[in-house]
Amino acid sequence: MMASHASCFLLAVVFSASCKAITSLNQMCTEKEANNTYNCENLGLTGVPDTLPNTTEFLEFGFNFLPTLENTTFSRLVDLIFLDLTRCQINWVHEDTFQNHHQLNTIVLTGNPLIFMAETSLNGPTSLQHLFLIQTGISSLEFIPSQNLENLESLYLGSNHISSIKFPENFPTQNLKVLDFQNNAIHYLSSEDLHALEKTTNLSLNFNGNDIKGIETGAFRSKIFQSLNFGGTLNLSVVLKGLQNSTTQSLWLGSYEDTDDEDLTSAMFDGLCEMSVESINLQKQYISDISSATFRCFTQLQELDLTANHLNELPSGIKGMKALKKLVLNVNGFDQLCHIRAASFPSLLDLSIKGNKRKLDLGAGCLEKLENLQKLDLSHSDIEASDCCNLQLKNLSHLQYLNLSYNEPLGLQSQAFKECPRLEGLDLAFTRWYVKGPQSPFQNLHILQVLNLSHCLLDTSNQHLLTGLVDLRHLNLQGNHFQDGSISKTNLLQTLRSLEILILSSCDLLSIDKQAFQSLGKLSHVDLSYNNLMGNSIDALSHLQGIYLNMAANNIHVIPSHLLPTLSQQSTINLSHNPLDCTCSNIHFITWYKENLQKFEASEDTKCINPPSLKGVKLSDVKLSCGITAMGIFFLVVFLFLIAILLIFSVKFLLRWKYQHI
Amino acid sequence: MKGFTVAVLVWTLISPSRGSKAWPTHTVCRDGNLEVLYQSCDPLQDFGFSVDPCSKHLKAKLNIRFGMILREDIKELFLDIALFTKGSSILNFSYPICEEDLPKFSFCGRRKGEQIYFAGPINNPGFEILPGKYHVLLELYNGDRSTVACANATVISS
Repeated sequence: MMASHASCFLLAVVFSASCKAITSLNQMCTEKEANNTYNCENLGLTGVPDTLPNTTEFLEFGFNFLPTLENTTFSRLVDLIFLDLTRCQINWVHEDTFQNHHQLNTIVLTGNPLIFMAETSLNGPTSLQHLFLIQTGISSLEFIPSQNLENLESLYLGSNHISSIKFPENFPTQNLKVLDFQNNAIHYLSSEDLHALEKTTNLSLNFNGNDIKGIETGAFRSKIFQSLNFGGTLNLSVVLKGLQNSTTQSLWLGSYEDTDDEDLTSAMFDGLCEMSVESINLQKQYISDISSATFRCFTQLQELDLTANHLNELPSGIKGMKALKKLVLNVNGFDQLCHIRAASFPSLLDLSIKGNKRKLDLGAGCLEKLENLQKLDLSHSDIEASDCCNLQLKNLSHLQYLNLSYNEPLGLQSQAFKECPRLEGLDLAFTRWYVKGPQSPFQNLHILQVLNLSHCLLDTSNQHLLTGLVDLRHLNLQGNHFQDGSISKTNLLQTLRSLEILILSSCDLLSIDKQAFQSLGKLSHVDLSYNNLMGNSIDALSHLQGIYLNMAANNIHVIPSHLLPTLSQQSTINLSHNPLDCTCSNIHFITWYKENLQKFEASEDTKCINPPSLKGVKLSDVKLSCGITAMGIFFLVVFLFLIAILLIFSVKFLLRWKYQHI
Repeated sequence: MKGFTVAVLVWTLISPSRGSKAWPTHTVCRDGNLEVLYQSCDPLQDFGFSVDPCSKHLKAKLNIRFGMILREDIKELFLDIALFTKGSSILNFSYPICEEDLPKFSFCGRRKGEQIYFAGPINNPGFEILPGKYHVLLELYNGDRSTVACANATVISS
């Protein structure tokens, strides 16, 4: 008994101590945009702080303490447009809370244990469009005060205890575009339930994480949706049957690692013949008897996503998928690219086989029937090829975008992409490749705009490597190495006359020749961060104007004054994380820096290293006076005086010596 | 038992002096040969986590349980793991849990402010934990690189 008393007492002490800790915190909201956007999250606030200006429009106020909302709570902030009150322990939303907030467009009440919302609690805003009532304990849609929701476009009701989607009769649904019922307890959808949504057009309806066990026949008849999500539903055949005669742009029927679902059979997809769908997602499903007949009812389909479907091959002889524009086969287990039987999808524009779980052999001409293909993603698929890529990409003459990043080593010969002359974007990042001798693998890619070669371990000494890229705008060479850590006057970049964006970060560079970028007259963005460059490398940019220059994390100590005009010409500069010298030897730069502070990015991290007394001080806070002091002048005068005396004496001595020897 | 309660309370009383940001150390699991402890390194909050079964012969597809409050949306969620023993790093890896084009778990897409409780299997490989003491740093973060959860764990296998 005594001990329990003692522990009660101690508990009280603990609580009071923690309360004290909370109130003594320095409560300061962060300003994201002056007089307009503020973040006051996690501050333990019990009201709007006085420091917040009346003109605030966007306010993030989550994780504070507001048990009751009433018309005085936010009365001062009449211009509010966006108000986030996530997890503020709100129990009550009283009458006329937002009466004066005519502009209010979004209210977020996620994670509040709401007990009651008054009939007029949401009155006031003239156009309330987005309302978040996620995990607020709602069990019936009657709970939501519907007086002022005529303009509502999205209503988020996830993670509540809702078992029926039937709206009260007077609930205005006509403008709803997004209705989200994720993770509720909805098991049955009746015609009556859906009837209330009759007035909506192009609605996106989300039932993800509800175990739908039944749909009344005809409930979705002649309804039109933007998207329907039945993710994680255990019995998909119920859904596919229930959607008869409906029309939807996209249908999400995927599963998850933590849901125990049944295997799908071909017969289940028969329901698709009775409805109109443009795009289907079946991620993580397993179709037990996959054959060409499985896809019998997929004839109207434009997009099909079979991510992680345990596929080793697609059946041959699939008929009727001639309309398919996009096919996603990511995270499956194909051995050979030919096993996808590309000939079944002659209209395909976009194909993705990303993250294949086995080593993918590209074979020869496996995609040659995809004459219209524009986009191909083969990244993260363990692809290895000694002679790439003309045989592999045979006949893909319309290809505009190719992703081969994160693969095993590829061997590239001259004109390696001859089969795809219309490429505009090519991503080879983190794929090692080797070119024998002075060859030019990209030679015929005359309209290529974007090339990512980061971390490819290139042979940058090959002057012809990038020959032929006459229209290249964006080149990423991050993480490649140059001979002796320097870019010389003649280098592989010289032919890229259209280049606008150049990324050379993390290339272990020590120096850049003054003339190295001379032919690159159109550069507007140069990233040289994370190298070991000194201040004089800036000379290589003297012919450029108005560029974004990133030289963060280099080895810049001093910037000589003759380079300041080059910096003055540019629009944005980042010099953070450099060992900058804050002694009088760098006074010209420091003075100029302080005058041009608006040009600099990350000035918070632009700090002095030397002298030790100023280490870690922001460059913008440094005050140096480097003129000659009175003491200095005195010593100089004394020194000159002594020299003069010495001179007079030596002349005297010399003359005397000369006379004595006449 | 009462003495123990008092001791715990006294300990909680004293612990704020170590800085208010230190959360208590919890036990993930403990059996004869294996002990796993963790402490939240997110200054804003603690979280709950447990694993079953607890054995140094780690089984594939472990069942885990965790409960926490989300302070960020998790449409995209990534896990970074760094494993150290005797002060040197043995293993670093990053694993996507939720991606826009592949939400692996049913909790993907949940919103800031939601309380989540997950009990279910994870797709881990089975392996044997060699005897020794290991330090593991786990961090969950979203597409904006904002921390969702952070844990400092200790694994003692004998």
